[in-house]
Amino acid sequence: MKNVTRLCLTACCFVFSLSAQVTYEKLLGAASGGADWLTYSGSYRGWRYSSLDRINRQNAAQLTLEWVYQMPTTLMVETTPLVVDGVMYISEPPSNVVALDAKTGRQYWRYRRQLPSRINVCCGQVNRGVAVLGERVYIGTADAHLVSLDARTGAVLWDIQVADQTAGYAITGAPLIVKDMVICGIAGGEYGIRGFLDAYDASTGKRRWRFWTIPENSWPGNSWKTGGGPTWLTGSFDPQQNLLIWGTGNPSPDWNGDSRPGDNLYTDSAIALDADTGQLKWHFQFIPHDVHDWDAVQVPVLVDDVWKGAPRKLIYWAHRGGFFYVLDRETGKFLFGTPFAKQTWAKGLDASGHPIVLPNTEPSTEGTYIWPGVQGATNWYSPSYNPLTKLFYLSYWENRSIYRKGEQEYTAGNRYIGSVPLIDLPGDLGRGGIRALNPQTGERMWEYKLETKPWAGVLSTAGQLVFGGSDEGYFFALDAETGKELWRQNLGGMIRANPVTYLANGKQLVSIAAGNAIFTFAIQR
Amino acid sequence: MLPFKTALLLLCAGSLFAQETRNPRTSPADVAAGAKTFHSHCSPCHGYQGDGGRGPNLAAGRFYHGSSDADLLKNISEGIPGTEMPGLFYNEDRVWQLVAFIRSLSANAAKSSGDATAGATLFRSQGCAGCHRIRGEGGAIGPDLTSVGAARSLDNLKQSVVAPDAEVQPSYWTVRFEDASGKAVQGFLLNEDTYTVQLLDPAARLHSYDKASIKNYAIDKRSTMPSYRDKLSPRQLDDLLAYLSAQRPQ
Repeated sequence: MKNVTRLCLTACCFVFSLSAQVTYEKLLGAASGGADWLTYSGSYRGWRYSSLDRINRQNAAQLTLEWVYQMPTTLMVETTPLVVDGVMYISEPPSNVVALDAKTGRQYWRYRRQLPSRINVCCGQVNRGVAVLGERVYIGTADAHLVSLDARTGAVLWDIQVADQTAGYAITGAPLIVKDMVICGIAGGEYGIRGFLDAYDASTGKRRWRFWTIPENSWPGNSWKTGGGPTWLTGSFDPQQNLLIWGTGNPSPDWNGDSRPGDNLYTDSAIALDADTGQLKWHFQFIPHDVHDWDAVQVPVLVDDVWKGAPRKLIYWAHRGGFFYVLDRETGKFLFGTPFAKQTWAKGLDASGHPIVLPNTEPSTEGTYIWPGVQGATNWYSPSYNPLTKLFYLSYWENRSIYRKGEQEYTAGNRYIGSVPLIDLPGDLGRGGIRALNPQTGERMWEYKLETKPWAGVLSTAGQLVFGGSDEGYFFALDAETGKELWRQNLGGMIRANPVTYLANGKQLVSIAAGNAIFTFAIQR
Repeated sequence: MLPFKTALLLLCAGSLFAQETRNPRTSPADVAAGAKTFHSHCSPCHGYQGDGGRGPNLAAGRFYHGSSDADLLKNISEGIPGTEMPGLFYNEDRVWQLVAFIRSLSANAAKSSGDATAGATLFRSQGCAGCHRIRGEGGAIGPDLTSVGAARSLDNLKQSVVAPDAEVQPSYWTVRFEDASGKAVQGFLLNEDTYTVQLLDPAARLHSYDKASIKNYAIDKRSTMPSYRDKLSPRQLDDLLAYLSAQRPQ
């Protein structure tokens, strides 16, 4: 009997140590800082900012490796880890989930998903992370399912089909928890899908609402049925207004717009939806009738600040087309916009924020050279906002592509892109780096140049640091005020992920995926 | 032992299975349709006329990953693992049309009229072998030409011989700078990142430098190979091209 009691106690302690008590209130509180990293962008505001300051400008040079977790995969790792009460939850490509001890990197459990032999994803079987609520972990999968797992064991609690993967739908982004719902976007803009954003009951998996990014019959003919407008990156949430702010992707086919005349709403847009009903409150379209594949799929950065002398609810948005925008978060009204990187397709923005498109910048049969390139002046990798410096940080690219216009023909489950551009010009690959912008003016405050184009997001902290990474495999820490490099480490593999930071046993750690591993650094006491 | 009729049946079935899959879409209209797809989807890497670029030459009639119609169908549809070649994900009919167009390229491909044996002599006497290696023999600082005939069309080879600056692979760009002691350094740019540079010097030695320790860093994207435009007669050029064109995987 005594042994049984001990066993029960041990089991209870074990279970307790692996319980992820993430409540909606805790997610709301993430905005004011904490020891964990509870949601994709760190908080609902999309800042990718941490109030932790034990690693700071004075000691960043002493960062050393704490642990490495190697994944048994050769696929590209783009995950943002979540950390909850000492447990790190990561998605592992293509659609697996792993729970690790956040102190040591040792594995607790792995959920392995069996996928169909043919998966329709445009750009690799990637996954950018999971969501956690209560004692459940949620992942969207490459075969367009949403799966709820027991955070303690990895056991499947429910598994629902979000869309038909054979028609080109997939999920690559991390879900977002809002109240008792799992908000889930969809990918497939290169397969002629009709995009949507869904909300599911976190307990049962039952769908609460769906917002179609292309309203029925709103485009000529049948083009609305295959018009794209995916929602493949995690958005942000404004709890005061109960508004989900989300970016939508390119119209389909990407590089030939002949079959879809008009603005192609709501592609390439910021959309604001009532979180309880999915009803559209406002939208702002960055590029009407896009023919360059410049998705508005970036993390919206929500900031309350003084604008032109009066307090205002703002959104900062560095868009793939090369312009930095400031929008009013209550109305979607355009307030300000200016280029943050070289672009040759627009003379500027008009008073409503629409681009003044230059002639001869559309894709052509012979090819049109345009900056930015197909992957944009920035892309899905996260920007960061630091309330101490009031600066907006981002990874930027300056390169060009040759945009070609070709034929288009929709067949379900096949690519529907209207040509293939030359994305990288041989011998002229372009460069990139990290830039700090004054979001009130768009002025570049500093720049950290890289020889190559970074696919890694940035993290800023109360330690006045900006962490970033490069395709060259370097992970670095910069002074948030000046951009001066304070520390650098070669991780030996491309970094195509966002960094996070958290506390474990009173020690601040910073983690990022590089190659096929998660690397975690700390300052040894 | 199998009954005679059964054995005959199996033999016939075997011969049916052994039959090679043939392209069912080879009409002029199919070739034209394939050309349209090729120019919008394939030419960015393989060249507008399929004569190579970032991807291999498809106009020479030799394919590294299988030359049968079935091989081409598979490689175009599914991509080639371990290479930059992606899958096209089009329906089979449309891929067959593309195969028809690719086949038409080699049907019209220019053939060398030169004497490959005389070209081999020229390759050695004109100094080519000092820099270029063929099947393990020759210099190490120029591109290895063992399979160059399969990878490049005749026109492309000619351009490389008479106008080598027209297309220089980044790993044959040269880098020049001064090291920490002020000594001039020069070599082929093998690799560089934001902080370091790796090069092969003219004596075929490898070096790696920290960029913070060097000065006057400059990259020259021109070829170090001299032009042979005025060094060879038209006949000699034809002979040399015939020799290069004959260099294929054995």
